[in-house]
Amino acid sequence: MNVLISAKNLTKKYGEAPNETVALENISIEIKNGEFTAIVGPSGSGKSTLMHILGCLDKPTEGEYFFRGREVSKLSDNSLAEIRNKQIGFVFQFFNLLPRTSALKNAELPLLYAGVDKEERHSKALKILSSLGLSERVNSTPGQLSGGEQQRVAIARALINNPSVIFADEPTGNVDTKTSREIMKIFQSLNKRGNTIIVITHDPEVATYASRIITVRDGKVESDKKIKRRK
Amino acid sequence: MDFSEIFVSAFEAIRINKVRSFLTSLGIIIGVASVILLISLGTGLQKSITSQFERLGTNTLYVMPGNIGEGAGFAGGGGLQTNKLKFSDADLIERNVDNIASVSNGVESITSVEYRGEKRNGVIFLGVDAEFWTTGAYKLDSGRFFSKAEDSSAKRVVVVGKTIVEKLFAGQDPIGKQLTVRGKRYQVIGVLEELGSVVGQDQDNIVIIPAETANLQIGFDRPTWILISAASSDAISQIQDDVGELIGKRLSDDEFSVLTSEESLDIAETILGVVQGVFVGIAAISLLVGGIGISNIMLVSVTERTREIGLRKAIGAKNSDILIQFLIEAVILSLTGGLIGLTLATAASLAVRVFIPATVTVEAIALAIGFSALVGTVFGVFPAYRASKLEPIEALRSE
Repeated sequence: MNVLISAKNLTKKYGEAPNETVALENISIEIKNGEFTAIVGPSGSGKSTLMHILGCLDKPTEGEYFFRGREVSKLSDNSLAEIRNKQIGFVFQFFNLLPRTSALKNAELPLLYAGVDKEERHSKALKILSSLGLSERVNSTPGQLSGGEQQRVAIARALINNPSVIFADEPTGNVDTKTSREIMKIFQSLNKRGNTIIVITHDPEVATYASRIITVRDGKVESDKKIKRRK
Repeated sequence: MDFSEIFVSAFEAIRINKVRSFLTSLGIIIGVASVILLISLGTGLQKSITSQFERLGTNTLYVMPGNIGEGAGFAGGGGLQTNKLKFSDADLIERNVDNIASVSNGVESITSVEYRGEKRNGVIFLGVDAEFWTTGAYKLDSGRFFSKAEDSSAKRVVVVGKTIVEKLFAGQDPIGKQLTVRGKRYQVIGVLEELGSVVGQDQDNIVIIPAETANLQIGFDRPTWILISAASSDAISQIQDDVGELIGKRLSDDEFSVLTSEESLDIAETILGVVQGVFVGIAAISLLVGGIGISNIMLVSVTERTREIGLRKAIGAKNSDILIQFLIEAVILSLTGGLIGLTLATAASLAVRVFIPATVTVEAIALAIGFSALVGTVFGVFPAYRASKLEPIEALRSE
């Protein structure tokens, strides 16, 4: 397995001294292709900041971050946008779907920015939505969908560009327990098919679906251990 | 990037906030509508003034009191000065200047006329010499013009326009009837051909009497103008010089002017141009205010949709993608307003056509579309730039 993510001594500070706050302190992580990693920690631990940096949404104050061998902090805004578009899929706690826009169009959105033509966008989105059991709901807007369905549309959107990694930030934070299990099962099956998954959560139950748990506390890695995958 | 998708989402964003979008576009609607309406009114007025001068012929010159035209502008306009022209100047010119076909005095005013107790106000009142008819400016529908003898003996005869026939004589033949002008009875001897309206004024709402009658019966002791018809157009500048010299013996340069019909037209057009420029300028300010409104609402929209912008950036939208999206939204908002404004202006200019021959030209349409697109772009750039520079995580974090 080759290395997908390699972060060395990442530090993220906000504000100027003396009001400086340190969100991350000297974090070093390596994640390989095909891993299912859970980054856990209480709120304010710095896990979201870590995800933002690893997801190329933010840059570290200090340290080096290599994504597929490229030093991210040296890249331009446009190159970062391209990495997020082609290499990374995001799933958020509040789904972040465009309201009044159909499930199909929502799922297509990354392809739009990738410059893919209309027919291909349509057929790809239809295929992925169907594989997630949403073939009957492609024309529904988010308001007409349940929480679980909305999150599945968001997963379809994250998958559509066939990314190297999927970042899921509290993906079950806004759905009930039953739906939460369904969503984690989806991530598990995606992982079995070779997708690299990184889930950020404060919920230890959710973390049990992963095969590796990185615990973050006060901006530092508290523990990093492999676990036996939950069946 | 697929532009059709950007347009679809821009229209969607505008449609969702229907009332807000409409109110925002209102500034542009009003601005474009008034600019176009004023331009088309100006174009129409110019056309009708030109046709009016053409009717009087290009071989004519006017002697008018005061210093009008070149150098003096209209600030020292003749109307404000004492009129020092005399009726006898017409004879003087005719006797001393070569290449003249005819010379006629003219007095002009507004009056009220009466027939069998029915009164009509605001009628154009013209007192002219019998020679005036030879210019061909007015043609007869029925009856006859007054003669030289009737003029010199100050007979109470009148030639009337079609509107007078319609309104006071109920369309009946008025010839031979007695029309009361300024308290005295005049015999109707002729009816003019229909002329339509010029500069919003009904040219058929007119009574014409002999100049001498106007002098002796009413008391117009000085001509409002002296109209000279040249024998040929080649003689115009020679006549202008000779008349200037002749009248110049008695009056100083700023007490009278000799204008060719071309110069008169120029002056009329210059005045119209300045007036139009001022009004269009004022209307353009409302376009500017409309533009600021668009800027303002786009900034609100950017703030409201911070999360959407963050999401779009997170899934791969470049800064330029976001910039274009918001810019197109602003341009559509402005352009829609411009098109509505154009429609309103066209409707309004058709409605006022009864009074003023307003004409919406292709140039005016191009101007409306171009200007509103420009306003949308200029005032949309700043909000769109702000949207494009939002940090994706800051944007995603916002509630």
